[in-house]
Formats: sequence, C-alpha cells, structure tokens
Amino acid sequence: MISIRNLNHSFKVGKKGKERQVPVLKGLTFDIADGEIVSIVGKSGSGKSTLLHIMAGFLTPESGEIHVQGVQTSSFSEVESAKFRLDHFGFVFQNFQLMPGLTAFENVELPLTLKGISKSERQEKVNDLMQSVGLTDVQDHYPNELSGGQQQRVSIARALVTDPPIIFADEPTGSLDSETEADVLLLIQSLNKTRGITFVIITHDDEVAQTANRVYRMHDGVLTEGGVQHAI
Amino acid sequence: MQFKDQISFVQQHIKKNKMRVFMTVLAATMGTAFLIVLASVGFGIHETVREEVLSNRLVTEIQVYTNEMDEEKAEELKKRDHVKAVIFRQHLGTMQQSSVGEFTGDHELIVTDFVEEGKVNFELQEGRLPQKSNEVVVGSHFADNLIDQQDVGEDGEFTTYKGKLIGEQFIYKIGDDKGDLIEDEIPLTIVGVGKKPAKDWDQDRKVYADASIIPELEKIYFSHVDKIDEEHPDAQQLFYGNVNVYADKLENVKAVSAALKDDGYSVYSISEELEQLDVFFLALKAGLVFVGTIAILIASIGIFNTMTMAVTERTREIGVMKAIGADPKLIQRLFLMESAWIGILGTVLAVVISYGVSIVSNYVLPIIVTAALGEEDLGGMNVTFSIIPWQLVVIASTISIGVAMISGWRPARKATKIDVINALRQEL
Ligand SMILES: Nc1ncnc2c1ncn2[C@@H]1O[C@H](COP(=O)(O)OP(=O)(O)O)[C@@H](O)[C@H]1O
Ligand SMILES: [Mg+2]
Repeated sequence: MISIRNLNHSFKVGKKGKERQVPVLKGLTFDIADGEIVSIVGKSGSGKSTLLHIMAGFLTPESGEIHVQGVQTSSFSEVESAKFRLDHFGFVFQNFQLMPGLTAFENVELPLTLKGISKSERQEKVNDLMQSVGLTDVQDHYPNELSGGQQQRVSIARALVTDPPIIFADEPTGSLDSETEADVLLLIQSLNKTRGITFVIITHDDEVAQTANRVYRMHDGVLTEGGVQHAI
Repeated sequence: MQFKDQISFVQQHIKKNKMRVFMTVLAATMGTAFLIVLASVGFGIHETVREEVLSNRLVTEIQVYTNEMDEEKAEELKKRDHVKAVIFRQHLGTMQQSSVGEFTGDHELIVTDFVEEGKVNFELQEGRLPQKSNEVVVGSHFADNLIDQQDVGEDGEFTTYKGKLIGEQFIYKIGDDKGDLIEDEIPLTIVGVGKKPAKDWDQDRKVYADASIIPELEKIYFSHVDKIDEEHPDAQQLFYGNVNVYADKLENVKAVSAALKDDGYSVYSISEELEQLDVFFLALKAGLVFVGTIAILIASIGIFNTMTMAVTERTREIGVMKAIGADPKLIQRLFLMESAWIGILGTVLAVVISYGVSIVSNYVLPIIVTAALGEEDLGGMNVTFSIIPWQLVVIASTISIGVAMISGWRPARKATKIDVINALRQEL
C-alpha cells in the first residue's frame, strides 16, 4: 500500500536570477491499496507524471511524506531509492524505453541481471514469462523489429519479471492504436487478477482511466477521487 | 549484477562501437609502445655500459692494503662469502734483469697463483701455464723490452728482440741491497705469453712465476744480503705482497669491502663509482619514462573523448537502467571497466609490439651503424640498443592502464549523475 501525505512540489522556471517557483503538486493526500488498479487522469501538464516520478523516487518532493508498504521512501538517498525500486517497483512507459542493443528476451532479463540472479534462473523465469505474455515467437527480435504493441508487451514483461508488488505505468497506451490499447489494458487487468499486482496508471484519456478500480482526477495540482468504477 | 554479466554487458557495448573503440585502443597502444621502446633504449645503453665496465676485471676488484700478508691470510680471504678469487701477488724489492743472448731488459718478476689469476680473466694468447719450477709466463710486451744496447737500428732506435718466445730460455738475475747484480744465473723457460691488456696503452712486460720459485730466489738473495732478524732489524726483505680480492658479483663488492674493513684491512674498490653510474642511468630512464608518459597522456585524450561520447550516446539507456533500479555505482563501474578494457588491450598490444621493435632494432641498428661508420665492428663493443625488462613492462602497464582509468573516470561519474527524468524524456 502506498500512502501519500500532504505532498507538495514546485519547479523553478525562468532565466537565472529571474526564477520563480511554479507549484505543480499542492498538498496531495491519498492512498493506494494493495491489489488495486488506480488511474490518475488529468490534462496534459497537470502534474501527473511529476507525481509518478516522486512516488517512484526519481524526484525528491519539496515536502510531504510517502510510505510504500510501511517504508518511508520520501527521505531515501539516490542509492537507497534505486535499490528499493529494483525490489518493489516495475515501470511501463509511454515510449516503452527498451534497450535498443538487447533482444526482447534480454530486455526482459535485464532487471534480473541487475539483481545478480544467475543465468540459468534468469532464463527459466524469462522463458515462462515470455510464454504467459505471448512473446515467445519474437523473443529474439530487437526492439526496432517489433510493433508498438509487442514492444509494450516486452516492457510490461520487463516490469513483471522481478515480481514487484507495484507497477507504475505512465501513459502506457499513449503510443498505441485503439486496438492494441485494448489488448494492453486487458493484459494489465488479467495480471492484476492473476498475480495481485497493484497498478498505478497515468493517463490523459478518460476511457483508459475507466478501466481502473479507482480513478483519481488531477486538476491544478490537486487530486480528487473520481469514485470506484468497478467492484473487484 | 554478477561480474561476468558486467563483463558481457561491457563487451556488448564495445562491439556496438567497434571502429571507435579500435581507434582509441590504437592510440593507447601507440602511446604505450612509444613509452616502452623509448625507455628500453635507456635500459639497453645502461646494460651495454655496465657490460663494458663489468668485462673489465677492475670492477669487482677490491684492493687490500696490509703490511702482513702471507699465504695463510690469503687462504682465509678465499673462504669468505662472495669472494671469487684472491690474488696474492708478490713483487721483488730489488733490481732484476732478464737476458736472451745480447738482448736485456729490466722486467719485473711477479710471483702469483695461476689458479686464482685464471678465475679473473688472466688468459694466455699462446702457450700454457707453468707446471714445473723455472717455467714462467711472460706479459704480451715482454719482447719489446728486450733491447740490444750495442745495436742501433736505421731509425736510431735500439733493436728489440724479435725471436720466438715459447720454449725459449732466458737468464734472470737479481740485484743485492746495494744495487749490484748478483752473478748467480737463474734460467727461466717461457711456456706461455699473456693476453694483451684490454686497453691499448697498457703494456704488460712482466714475468709471472708461481710460488715454487721463491726458495731459489731467497737462497741466492740471502747468501749476499742479511736476513731480517734481531741483529738486523732494518734489513730489506725480498718479497713484498699485495692482495686483490675479487667479489663474485658487482652487487657483492660493497658487502665484501665492508667485511674486510671490519677486519681492519684498508680497502679500495671502484664499485662506488659504478653506483654513481647506476644513479645516472636511473635518472635517464626516469626521464625517458616521463617523456613516454606524455605520449600516453595524449592517447588519454582519445579515451576521454570516446568515453564521453559513449556516455552521451547512452544517456537514455543509462536513464532506463537507473529507473529500473540500477545502482549508480554499478553504472560507474561499467564505464570504468570499458575504459580499463581499452587501457588493458592497448597495453597488451603495446607490450607485444615493443618486444618486436626491440628485437628488430637490436638486430638491424648495429648493421646500420657499422655501415655508416664504415667499420668492421663497434670497436669490439657488444652494443645492445634496447632491452625491455619485466620491470619496464610493469611500470608502463601501470601508467597506461592507470591513465586509461583516470581518463574514463569523469565520463563514468557523469553517467552516474544522469537525471532519470531527463534521460527518459529523450527522443528515441
Ligand atoms: N523539470 C521541470 N522544470 C520545470 N517545470 C517542469 C519540470 N517538469 C515538469 N514541469 C512542469 O510541471 C508541470 C507538470 O508536468 P507533468 O508532471 O509532466 O505533467 P503531465 O504528466 O500531467 O502532463 C508542467 O507544467 C510542466 O511544464
Ligand atoms: Mg506526463
């Protein structure tokens, strides 16, 4: 479970000497329960990605507290934060962010390699996973040899491979056509059901947001709950 | 991340930029090879000079000054550690004359131990060593000093003995303490002629005999001259000894000298002068290594460039790795490994190339130099132009790999500082 308390963040903008603070997140307080699919929806520039970056530890908030599974992550050092991400989080990005020099298989393998897991164990794990997300046929392809939908499946597999309790997805369908978008959303829903993984989906698209169990609306740096859409 | 995974990760990146990495390795190789070859000349010349000095027996020689030297003491000296030979030479303290027919000369007779002499370069140009008493070896210029006082040649010079030496018998006489020759004739047979001294200006006119001649000479001498005893405390003795101790190796000259000094002997050796030679060459080699290091530093600019480009190019990938949870220290290590790999490969190639250059130049340069000088050989000198001892390889490798890693350091630091959010925002 993720709990956010009184989170504030602002950016400095403008030329040197004439900077001004632009508040982006204004006193956010909310919780994300285990096993939920939560979506955060809002217009472009409303501060959704900034919120995700802070939750993920890419960015240290100006003020406020974040607890992930009882651990206060908002005061982590860079190294602590990296270690925590490797063990607890998976990431899915709008533009997939695959390593161009690695095959689909190797891309999925990467987090396990970083964790120092042995080659044989990695191979077994990745093989299973490739099968369950339907990528076995293209596992030796490089990212530029894959369609957008396939790339996003690879990226989801990469996020899954370490069995993290939480996966953050920033506009996961932003680069996909509507048909593939539906596929990817279905995959997310089924992974949430079968594996109990918490998904935090960020989107500007109301339709995508509606696939979540709980929708938060971001407007002017303030978050409001849009109501539970589907019972679990 | 396991070490072997780190290695394969680095390998993959190097493969992707083969050409660029190759050029960088080439620059590192050239710089390092330049350093090694340059310094190897210092080592080569040092070795040549040392060899040249070492081949002269004076280097390991320790002159021992003492009033009371005798066979027994000489024997004791031989038993010491690191002593190769002890040459106990005895001179006569009186006038001497040698003559072959009309030819006479005032050659000096030396009583010595041929076994010991043989251990330190005493060689014959012809004949053999004495086996019986009254057999002697003469120095290479013995005949030049045998002069016929009556016969002046066309050039106004006295004629010198031109006949054969080996097997020839000559008459040897000694003088008494008043400077008059004693009539008794001692016939000596020449069985060997010593080798010419190494230096051109040196002339060896001596007559060398072994200790078996001593009783005969003393008998003749003391039948005309008083012996030293209570009645004649000021009487002349016939033989005066001097001792040269030869250390087995140059390095041991110091220790042997020190031990002799401790035992009350006065000693002199030129090992200290040789030490200065070593200091000079150490400075020369250090200077050459320094100049060579500049070449490596120039190559390091290439490494810095390559690594900076590698980091810049891979900004997005580094960002992704950090986002997934890669430790910044791991990212730094991966880049350091890459620059170290460039350094190591460059060094290995440089060492191989340098040995090749060294071997070829040692073979080819003497040919070129002798051709240019128009001489048969380099004055009999055995010149080595280039030597690469393992110490030089270690020094050069340390400098080269060290410089490679230092130049990879900043780019690697830069990689760890990459901001995840900015990196992920980069266009594909
Ligand atoms: N590094 C930054 N410096 C200054 N302003 C920023 C920075 N990052 C984001 N912003 C601003 O913060 C606001 C929120 O950005 P973001 O979180 O990316 O919005 P969203 O993801 O909802 O489109 C935007 O107005 C944006 O311009
Ligand atoms: Mg965004």
